[in-house]
Amino acid sequence: MEIKKSKIGSFWVINLTGRLDTSNYGELEKSLIDLIDSGEKELAVDCSGLVYISSSGLRVFLMALKKITQSAGKFHLCCLQNNIHEIFEIAGFTSIFKIFNTVDEALK
Amino acid sequence: MAEKEIIIGNQLSQLEIVANALESLSDEWNLSMNVSLNLNLVLEELITNIIFYGYDDTNEHLIRILLSYHDSVVQIQLEDDGKAFNPLLYAEPNIDLSIENRKIGGLGIHFVRKIMDEIIYSRLNNKNILTMTKNIA
Repeated sequence: MEIKKSKIGSFWVINLTGRLDTSNYGELEKSLIDLIDSGEKELAVDCSGLVYISSSGLRVFLMALKKITQSAGKFHLCCLQNNIHEIFEIAGFTSIFKIFNTVDEALK
Repeated sequence: MAEKEIIIGNQLSQLEIVANALESLSDEWNLSMNVSLNLNLVLEELITNIIFYGYDDTNEHLIRILLSYHDSVVQIQLEDDGKAFNPLLYAEPNIDLSIENRKIGGLGIHFVRKIMDEIIYSRLNNKNILTMTKNIA
């Protein structure tokens, strides 16, 4: 998995490419915690290049959402491929995450 | 009937072998990307559980995966010599809770139950044997 971070306006956009699973979820966890702990409150994860996710990856997203919600910030997701969206639905995550179709929409 | 056996050790690094084997098998059996990724998810969740919670010792253990495909039905048989564990007895997570109350965890077996159509657990000769099928027609 490749993780790219960039600042667009008030948001940090985290771009994920590849597979997010038990073998590498720690890398994303660290990236997100570093941003949140340094006081960033608006994060958007661009999942357009994410091709696979398992429960380990979903746990990282939920952890980040909980942390950011506590500090009244925003944790947005965008551009989920169909396979990934289906997994989010099965997990019941589509009702607790704000999921957008485009990066632009996610930056609001 | 097409069949493929994969045998791995009880280390997380071996999950890559499973992912790669599934990828080439999907080409061979003409499975859709969606089916292939879902089967990968099922195996990752179950194998991760076995590796994390299945053993009391630090010895090397083998986990056997037998995949077969016949008449639009994929069958997975997963066999390990870890502690007796029937995932069907595992409580379902409540996926309707709010953000604050959602538990971080417990989703793996939920995925297995939702993705596979039939799951049968048996304990035989000190081994857990999980036989699962998915109709992909």
